[in-house]
Amino acid sequence: MNTRKFKDVVAQKIMFLLCIFVVSLAFLIIFGLYHRSMPILAEKNLKDILFSAIWHPAQGQFGLAGFIVGTLWVIGIATILAVPLSILTATYLSEYSHRRIREYIKPIIDLLAGISPVIYGVWGVVAIVPFVRDYLMPFLSEKMPFFPFASDNYTGFAAITGGIVLAVMICPLMISIIGEVIRNVPFEAREASLALGATRWQTVKYVVFKKSWPGIIAAIILGLSRAFGETIAVLMVAGCALNFFPKSIFDPAYPLPALIANTYGEMMSIPLYDAAVLLAAFILLIVSILFNIVGWGILLRIERSQS
Amino acid sequence: MECKTHISVRDLSVFYGGAQVLNNISIDIPDKKLTAIIGPSGCGKTTLLKSLNRIIDLQDGVRVSGQVFVDGEDIYDPKVEVTHLRKKMGLLLQRPQILPMSIYENVVYGPRIHGVRNKKKLDGLVQCYLKVSGLWNEVKDRLHSPATRLSIGQQQRLCLARGLAVEPEVILGDEPTSALDPISAERIEQRLLELKSQYTVVLVTHNLRQAKRLADYVIFLYLGNLIEHGPTEQILKNPKYVKTQNYINGEFIEELTIDKELNLKATVCPDNFAKAKLALEELKHGQVLKIVVDYEVAVNEVPKAMEFEGHKVLEIKRINQKDWEILIQKRNGVYTI
Repeated sequence: MNTRKFKDVVAQKIMFLLCIFVVSLAFLIIFGLYHRSMPILAEKNLKDILFSAIWHPAQGQFGLAGFIVGTLWVIGIATILAVPLSILTATYLSEYSHRRIREYIKPIIDLLAGISPVIYGVWGVVAIVPFVRDYLMPFLSEKMPFFPFASDNYTGFAAITGGIVLAVMICPLMISIIGEVIRNVPFEAREASLALGATRWQTVKYVVFKKSWPGIIAAIILGLSRAFGETIAVLMVAGCALNFFPKSIFDPAYPLPALIANTYGEMMSIPLYDAAVLLAAFILLIVSILFNIVGWGILLRIERSQS
Repeated sequence: MECKTHISVRDLSVFYGGAQVLNNISIDIPDKKLTAIIGPSGCGKTTLLKSLNRIIDLQDGVRVSGQVFVDGEDIYDPKVEVTHLRKKMGLLLQRPQILPMSIYENVVYGPRIHGVRNKKKLDGLVQCYLKVSGLWNEVKDRLHSPATRLSIGQQQRLCLARGLAVEPEVILGDEPTSALDPISAERIEQRLLELKSQYTVVLVTHNLRQAKRLADYVIFLYLGNLIEHGPTEQILKNPKYVKTQNYINGEFIEELTIDKELNLKATVCPDNFAKAKLALEELKHGQVLKIVVDYEVAVNEVPKAMEFEGHKVLEIKRINQKDWEILIQKRNGVYTI
């Protein structure tokens, strides 16, 4: 065998091994988390952990409910803000704007996706926290002192602050996927509607959205799966109060990723502490994998049905 | 309909980016007649058609100059309400575009967006226009099932009903039969012939035989220029200009000499293929075989099989209630005219 051929074979083998290594990382992480979080599941009931809100590691109490509800608040608020914003922006860019304008605006939106999360965190602390503290919270909490608004947290570090920051962070991804999905609706479908004398808005409402809603749902799910994992920006603005069960959008929330980032590595001498935090990580991982599978599944299906 | 439609095009030029697609077209389109726009591909037939209802505006980078008067009003005037203009014109596209809703909803889509809310009136419209387009008997029991389940020919007739439901004055067709099988195409042609007494119909077609069968008036375009227009007989039989003559002679033979006739009535599918194929083998290149079939599947499948063999199907025509005539020109292998 000559050297040329030998090098080729070696290069191929090495690249194959590296490829296998990368793929196996995914499984190693899932398995590792599962394995390390086993000890707490062996001692405690999963239901007790998920539905208890008391987090006292020193006393052996590892209730995750407060963190899970905190995550849901932040994500829920982010969704409510980001979904209409993304759908309408994407619709404007695909349906109304001139192609030139789209070519200029798209890169700016994509730029938002590339900004480091910590910068969003700083922006949240500098801009959104005072806005919530000085305007939004006094206004809504006083005008509507009932369920999702009533709160006595006047710091501005709250679930809604995290939600606003998160909404801005997941928007670019959702805008770009939704835009793609909308542009995939055949031009002739719009033509058919417009030729009957429909306005653009009627066409968008009755034809374009109707043809593209599975893709829009997929985009929302993918945006959410990113929101689930987002840590640092939310940690900086959401308040992160321990042993606090958030009952209002103005209460501080302590989402799961923030819990993991804040506590893992400290006070490891406490029994089961390590396992409890890793269980939280495992739950987070499973949820975001599920969301990804569902989201990409829908998009793949649409792609296949169109080709 | 008593209101008078009048479409006149004056010095219409259309540009896509830098390229000029239509060059100073001026023409009056006759009322309550079927006008066919013919010409080689890429000559601007569709562009001319689509500039009549301003659907052309949707293309990126289109520039239009000149005027199109519909009912005496210049439709390219910025003050014109484009939705009102489009309501006056039903559009049939090459491939039927079904809206993602039920059959019923497809028909009432137009009236609804123009503000008709009365359920009884909408029901009436659906029944009326599905009957006009010849679809009523096939779908009356499943009006609320999704329109995508219809065959492509039925979808095109549904598109026709949908276009008529907004009560237009003009019907525009952009090769509306080219994606359909012969039987469905024939049905659409029948509808258009019936409708031309009440509507002004403008049809883009690349099929001269279709133009001959349907049209009263023919417009010939060549590379964006209007070469010739006039009554069908005159244009197809005695064209004045060389370009028209060349196109018509290249595309279509006025008096076909039929070199062989074959009666395939009451013959089922694999048989009629084989017989037609054998008959063609005896012919020389360019000669024409006429076959007569009376079996619906054969009408669709025999021409397809013959085209697959490399021959050219010149015409598929219904001759009476049951029988269809198919003209096939023999082609030898890769050698084509």
